[in-house]
Amino acid sequence: MSIFTKLAASKIANELLLPQAVTAALELIINKALAMNINTSVSFSAVAQKTLTLKLAELSFPLSFSVNSSSKPVVVIVSTLAEQSDCSIQTSLYTLKKLKDNQSLTQLIKQDELDVSGDLKVAQQFANIAQSLEIDWQSELANHLGDVPTHKLLQFGNKVTKSFSTKSKQLEADITEYVVHEKRLVVCKSQVKAFNQRTKEIANDVSAISKRVDKLIADYASK
Amino acid sequence: MSSSDQIPQENDLPKSQQTPMNIDGNSTTHFGYKTIEKDDKISMVAGVFHSVAKQYDVMNDLMSFGIHRLWKRFTIDASGVRPGNKVLDLAGGTGDLTAKFSQLVGREGKVVLADINSSMLNVGRDKLRDKGLVQNIEYVQANAEYLPFEENTFDIVTIAFGLRNVTDKDKALRSIYSVLKPGGRLLVLEFSKPEHELLNKAYDFYSFNILPKMGEIVAKDGDSYQYLAESIRMHPDQETLKSMMDNAGFEQTSFKNLTGGVVALHKGYKF
Repeated sequence: MSIFTKLAASKIANELLLPQAVTAALELIINKALAMNINTSVSFSAVAQKTLTLKLAELSFPLSFSVNSSSKPVVVIVSTLAEQSDCSIQTSLYTLKKLKDNQSLTQLIKQDELDVSGDLKVAQQFANIAQSLEIDWQSELANHLGDVPTHKLLQFGNKVTKSFSTKSKQLEADITEYVVHEKRLVVCKSQVKAFNQRTKEIANDVSAISKRVDKLIADYASK
Repeated sequence: MSSSDQIPQENDLPKSQQTPMNIDGNSTTHFGYKTIEKDDKISMVAGVFHSVAKQYDVMNDLMSFGIHRLWKRFTIDASGVRPGNKVLDLAGGTGDLTAKFSQLVGREGKVVLADINSSMLNVGRDKLRDKGLVQNIEYVQANAEYLPFEENTFDIVTIAFGLRNVTDKDKALRSIYSVLKPGGRLLVLEFSKPEHELLNKAYDFYSFNILPKMGEIVAKDGDSYQYLAESIRMHPDQETLKSMMDNAGFEQTSFKNLTGGVVALHKGYKF
């Protein structure tokens, strides 16, 4: 993305109050997740009053996560204030996914996919908290829907997930098969073009011969 | 809530704070489109807010389709608040800004929620206490024109959707300037003049036809919301308010239009 496109995107995002909408939505989701957490061993003391800032390539504004442990229950505040950050991470959503898949942090830093400034321990502590959260979705849903509908809904959900997983695996296998084996055997565009050209030439030749034969027959009949 | 826990009513305030002094010799002011005696404005505005206090948050969400939350978030983001800061949320009403500031300034910081209206302050205090926000918040019933704080006290002063209800805005701005620390900043979030004529017309239609009806149905008080629409039109536009801030002594003043200028955030520093 060029610098001008980035600037224009940032301006439009600001006009639409997108940074504020994103931070409000994230804050709501995170604090809802914290409220539903059933793992009582999660401790926020290590990150109390600490701020982790995430600068994602896909977003034109930073996301700062601060833990306020003085209020009960503990809340996480999400804002675009990045000046007072204890740890700042500059990366992309794609790289974050790689991090989740346990790809080496050092390797990603070396490849310039990740830039960390400040206290890396703060980021690790935030990540540890996020990983240790446990939410009992079934009982949360049951509180709203009732036990039987929740059971049926989850059963249906599991069935759909299983079916989707099987279909996606099949699709992946088919694509692999095509890329590895079939693609080599498939004729390329230029070959199809040459074939069409040759067919056209043959059709023209046949047509010329046909005309000549007709002419010869006509000549023979007139004699 | 016990009676001793109640915040004093306007009549309990010192006389000098109830009635603004008439410096410029002009004894009249605006109350919406009406011209009234300056001395009457405080009690008339108080009447409006006593009436709507309990439904204030619901009405804000309804009237602005929830966008007021984003405007307030924008204000917080623009404030550059840091842990340990002292913040004055003036005309803070039901405490939306105070709640967020309280979480951001941390244990070492402090937020003062000030409002001239006891009903609004009571609703705000109950709401914040219900949220578990008790540690670093103080509640003060105060008139913006006569702030009861020492000079150079606050790092940040905010006034969101409150300045237009103040009788003498210039005096209030000077009073705010005095309580700000050098390096401190004022943020004024207020309704303003839409930038585009089409939006202006749609906004006028909405304000004068739909808004009072909404007020009548939800808050059972259409007149207060008629006043809201009128007071917005009588409030100084972006450039005028900016020059008022300049005149009060603020430096590097600027404003940012939000939602096409329906609302503007003015910012100024004291150096």
